[in-house]
Formats: sequence, structure tokens, C-alpha cells
Amino acid sequence: MRIFGFLLAFACWALVGLPFLAAQPAPFADAKVIHTLPWNSDVISAVAFIGNDKVAAGNKRGDILIWNLPSGDGKTPDPVRRLLGHTRDINRLLVSPDGKTLISASNDRTVKFWDALSDAGEPGTVVLNDGVPLKGVVEKVAKLPDSPSPRVAKVIVQKPLKELTGHKEWVQGLAQTPDGKRLVTGDEQGVIIVWDLPAGKELNRWQVKNWVRSVGISPDGKTVAASQHVPYRDKIKVMPSFHLWDADTGKMKMDLTKEITGGMSTVAYSSDGKWLAMCRGNIELEGATGKITLFDPSTGKKVRELTPGHSRGATDLAFHPDGKHIFSAGRDQLVKVWQLEDGKLVRDFGKFVDRGYWITSISISPDGRLLAAADDNERKIVIYSLNVK
Amino acid sequence: MFSFRDENHLSRRSLIKGLLTTAGGLAVANWGALTHSQTIAQEARRSGKRCIMLYMEGGVSQIDTFDMKPGRPTAGQFLPIQTNVNGIQVCEYLPNIARHADKLAIIRSMRTQSVDHGIGGYHMHTCYSSSQRFPHPEIGAMIAKYCENPENDLPSFVKIGSGSGIYGAGYLGPQFEPFVVSDNGQLPGFATPSVTPDIQDRRGDLLNFMEQRFAQQRPGEPFAAHRTSELRTIRLMRARRTFDVSEEWTRARSRYGDTNFGRACFTALKLVEAGVSFVEAAHAGYDSHNDNFPVHKGNLQELDPAWASLLQDLQERGLLQDTLVVWTSEFGRTPAINFQAGRDHFGRAWTIVLAGGGIRGGQHYGASNRDGFEVQENPVSEGDLFATIYRTMGINPRVRHYLGSRPIWATPEGSRPIQPLLG
Repeated sequence: MRIFGFLLAFACWALVGLPFLAAQPAPFADAKVIHTLPWNSDVISAVAFIGNDKVAAGNKRGDILIWNLPSGDGKTPDPVRRLLGHTRDINRLLVSPDGKTLISASNDRTVKFWDALSDAGEPGTVVLNDGVPLKGVVEKVAKLPDSPSPRVAKVIVQKPLKELTGHKEWVQGLAQTPDGKRLVTGDEQGVIIVWDLPAGKELNRWQVKNWVRSVGISPDGKTVAASQHVPYRDKIKVMPSFHLWDADTGKMKMDLTKEITGGMSTVAYSSDGKWLAMCRGNIELEGATGKITLFDPSTGKKVRELTPGHSRGATDLAFHPDGKHIFSAGRDQLVKVWQLEDGKLVRDFGKFVDRGYWITSISISPDGRLLAAADDNERKIVIYSLNVK
Repeated sequence: MFSFRDENHLSRRSLIKGLLTTAGGLAVANWGALTHSQTIAQEARRSGKRCIMLYMEGGVSQIDTFDMKPGRPTAGQFLPIQTNVNGIQVCEYLPNIARHADKLAIIRSMRTQSVDHGIGGYHMHTCYSSSQRFPHPEIGAMIAKYCENPENDLPSFVKIGSGSGIYGAGYLGPQFEPFVVSDNGQLPGFATPSVTPDIQDRRGDLLNFMEQRFAQQRPGEPFAAHRTSELRTIRLMRARRTFDVSEEWTRARSRYGDTNFGRACFTALKLVEAGVSFVEAAHAGYDSHNDNFPVHKGNLQELDPAWASLLQDLQERGLLQDTLVVWTSEFGRTPAINFQAGRDHFGRAWTIVLAGGGIRGGQHYGASNRDGFEVQENPVSEGDLFATIYRTMGINPRVRHYLGSRPIWATPEGSRPIQPLLG
């Protein structure tokens, strides 16, 4: 009788539950492009959400623009603000946890702080299409192609609130703690600096052997993860390295170098501190070399590798606020979505092109509903609705 | 006008003479000058000139080094810095070289024909196109032929590393083939004996005794050539310590940079100091079709201390006036930056730098246009560059040689030395 009862219960579950499960869409299955923000002045090298309705992007000229995004999929907006101050490539952008401050790291060796919300400033303009079309500009081309008729947007021009000038080389690494109390920066001279974020005061600095390409800081602010490399220099002697450092003393806590097989482009902690992620791709390598690796930050053990990697290298990473997914971008024009728990590839966005334009940077809105991707193909920022319930 | 005396005839006899092989069958490089034109060679030797060629393998970017275009769409990610000469700026990652700009003649108007690696390497080592299917000698062989000191125990043409390609001595004959050591200066196996110097000397004496007895019965020239090669090999064994710079390198590496290229430059210094006529040191890894800027930044940070220290040491040792230092590559790189943040091969307007050897430094020669796509003034061909180098070395740029009855010139017809650079 007991077995009969069990079978009856199973049959009921199969009749009612299975169709229900089958009807559940895969995460992000309905995601779609809702805005394309063209900005063809130079390579767009960094992107970051400000709240859930604004996006900032920086390019290799040192310009930063901010767009207000209309709700839904309304008309594609023009940028409304232009942040002037950097003179060279913007490498990283991030927004303070309270959403009030935008922080930028640049090849001009500075880190600058900007008012993320204010609309105050001088009226000005920006040309959105004065970049040089590059495709086909090779040996047989006698001059650069002419730019098309200028497309001008009216903007408010704003200046930085303050800047950090502790670096003497290109600042590639930028990360903060979720409580907004600590900032860490790293440069291509191998200098890592931990800052008191509200005060902008230097707390600690140390020197590592190679260039710092990317940094992450643990949520408790006590550990700095740094990817270090030198491209092509004495290939045999200077190998890429991956270390965890004590943020207070600058002493090495763990050497994860043996867990990596090539140069890295980005490292990041999840906001809950459960995961440390790293992606390969500091320099182009043929094949699906842009793999993402997940570590247990407490032990430094590799948990899993997310494959197949991006063709020719990955460029950026972003944890989704749901705590279950991580997004990666690559040199194959794709954004990939991965399940953290089992490493399964959920889906990808974009059209795969081997040796194509890059997705240089990605950002996910705090509510998890939007994804911004800086796409070098025709130079634009693509905004996806992730259709999260 | 050149007299018949200037011409060199490579007969079958001299060719056989040149086929020098060791007892183990290994080809031995450029020992002696069996087919010298004595007049030209003596003239060149009197000049006492030597040459070091720093070869940037893969194609170095002119816009990211010596022909910067600040503010232009082709400028890229690097900024120019001022040098010790007003009006000359170089890349911010060449700060040490900037202090030696008064020694540099910067040719910003190279217009060359072969823009792929194999053919470009051949062209920039021989000044002739590889499509001619003719065995032209590379520049080191030509300079070895005319500038070597036959009494010197060391080879006259040394390549440190083979990354820049080995194009050979061509019609000059195998005695002028390069003597190639590894990137870290290690000698080839046949020059690294497995026995102690005492035993090696005794073996040499015994071989000498036996060879003399044998030669008394066989006076033919092929045997003489063979014998010459053996003697040269024995002399190299005794002089090979010149290649071992380990002891001095511990003191020099902080200045040159603790890299293979830094060590190669220091070894080149020691070799020319010891009388070697031509040394080529290759610096690999400039072929930046993608990620041009980190690649060049990394390479320039190695190049800068090594090259600058070489110039400094040559000057301090009184060698710079007689040592021509050539900074070159197989071609330049495109002004436009491609969609993979790279620059591609480019021959239409690029840069080569000369220093020392009597070259007038502290000047630009020629110019590219605003964005760097074309030569704007004073185009320089491969032949013009080689004519300038040969003239500086005391070698007639239009010296003729023969392969059979066919005349061949050291530089193509129409090649002219760049007069404003010559001291």
C-alpha cells in the first residue's frame, strides 16, 4: 500500500509539476537590445551604470559621456553630460555604492572622482561621430578616410570633484569594497595602492614585479587580488602572475599563479565574497583562450573553469546582483552568461566573430535588469533588457 | 668611376677556397678574407670602422618611437618627450635614448618595397629584393669582407640570436657567413669544447704537427683552405672567452636592463671592442597586429636602457666615433590603428636611426606627412640606406663583384648615400 501511495504521488507530480517546470524560461532567455548608443570618436573602453537609469562610458581619448536611459525601449537618447578632465585612455569606471560618485582610472596616471548625479555645469557640445573608420585602413590606403558630417549633441560639461595622483604609470586596476570605504588601484609600474575612499587618503602601497592589469578587493577590504603581467617582454622570464595581497601590510597572502596559464584581463570578487573570478585575455591568443576561472577566495583553490572561453581572449567580467550568475565579455563580440553554481553556459549575446571587434567592457545595473556592453563594432554602447522578473 | 682594381672575381678556385669546413664537417664562418679586393679592403680597414646593427624583429612602429604624431588620429597611446636636442622628440618610453639624441641621425622617410617578414628581412639585410633570386650577401658579410682584421682571432661577422633571420654571405662565399651565438651569448656546440684548455691546446698542437706533415705532400689550395679553417677554429677556441661576458655583466646589467637584449647589446660592445667588424643583435616581438601599445611599451622599456647604455659605453671607451650603430627593422607599422588595437606592416614612410661611426647626430632627415601615411620629403630607399652605411664604413657603395661573368654591385643602381648625414 505504501508503494502504491508513493507511485500515485509521483504520478500526480509528473502530471502537474513537469509541465510547470518545462514552462519556466531559462534565465535571461527573453533578454533583448533596447537601446544602441552610438559614439564613434574612439574606442569605447569602459562602461558603468549609474543607478538603474543612467549609463556612463569612457573612451581612449579620455572623454566620459553620460546618458539618461528612457524607461522601456523608447527613443534612443543622446548623451546629456560630458565629463572633462582626463587626457588619455579611460581604463575603468565604477560607481560608489551609494550611487553618488563616479570614479575613473586613466592612462593619464590619475584616478578622478565625478558627481554622478548632478546636472550642474557649463553648456557645451560633443561630436559623436568624429572617429576614424579603421576597417581596411592598411598599407595601400594613402590617407585616413574622411569623417562623415558631424553629429553633434548638446551636453552639460562637468569637471572632476577631485583626483588621486599617486600613480606614475597608466592606471589599469580599480576596485572598491561594497561598503564604499576602501578603493584599490594598480598601475603598469607594478604599484598597488589602497585608499581610504571617503577621504581619498592613501592607506598603503606596495610594489609588485610586473605591470598590474586588474585588481579586485574582498568585501571586507582585507585582501587585494591582482593580475600581473608584462606582454612580450622576455617571454620566458616574466610570466604572468596572480596574487592575493594583504591590503593592510602589502604582504603576499596567496600565490595563485600556478592556477593560471596565461595573462589576465580582469579579476573581480562577488559582492557576497563567495567567489573570486578571473578571465584571461590581456593579449590576443588564438583559439578559445578567453577562459573564466572561479576561485574560492578563502582557500585560493580553483573551483572551476568556465568553458568554452571567448575566442582570442576575454576582456571583462561582471557578477549579476542575483548572486547566481556571472557575465563575461570578449574579443569575439560576445557577452556570455554563466551559472556560478555549476559553471553552465546559460546563453550568449551578440554575434560570434573570430578575430572580430571586441566587447571591451560590460556593466550590469544595480537592480539586475539592464546590461550595458561597449561594442567596438561601429563603436556603440548596447543596452540589453535582461527581462529579470 | 671605379677602376678594375675595385672589382672582385669569385672564381671556381676561390669558391672552393671558401668552402671551409671543420674536421667534424661543420661550416665555419668567415675566417679570413680569401677573395678580398686588397685595395678596398685595406682602405676600409684603415678606417678602423665597426658596425653594430640593432634589429627590431617583426617591424617596429615609427609613430610610437621617433615619428610621433601628437594630436592626430594616428597618434596612438604614447606621448612625445623632449630630447637633449631642440626640435627632436621621441616616445615617452625612450627616456634614456632621449639623452643621446645629439648622437642620432633619425631618418623619417624610409620608403621600402618589401612589407612582409621574410622578404622584408631579406631586403633590409641585403638592400635587394628577394624576388631577384640571386644570392646577395647580407650587410654583415659585406662589412666583414671589407673591414675585418684577418689577424684577429674572432669572427668578423657575429649575430647574437637568429631571430632576425640568416640570409647568408651569398656571392661573397661561405667564409663570410655569420657566426651565430644564442640570445644569451652562448656559443654554438662546436665552439664549446668538452675538455680543459690544457688538453685542448695539446690536441691542437698534435693536430698541427700531423697536418703539417700531411700538407708537405699535398700542396693543393683546397687543402690550404681546409687548413685555414682549422687554424681559425683553434684561434677561436683560444679567443672564445671574449663571448663570455658573465663577470662584467653582473655590473652592467642594472644599466642595460636584465634582459636578453640588454645582454646582447653589452656583448656587442665587448665584441667590437675586441675588434669584431660587425655584430647584429636582434630584439624580437614587434609584430603587433593586435595590442600594439602594450606590446611596444614592453619592448621599448627593454630597448631603451640597452641601446642608450651601448651608446654611452661606446662613447666613454672612445669607440663611438668608429662604431656605427644602426637601429632598424624589416619595415614600419601602419599609421592607422586597426580594429584589434594593432598596427600592421607598413613600408611607405617609416624610420631608421643611425648613430656613431662619424654620422652627424642631432638631426632628422626627411619627413612623413601629417598623419604619417606618405613621405613628405627626401625619400630614402633600401639602397640609399645601405649606400650611406657603406660610405660611413669606408666601403665603396658601388663596388662590383662577379658571379661567373655576371657583375653585381653592393647597392642597386641609383642608390645614393645621404650626404647630410655623413661626417
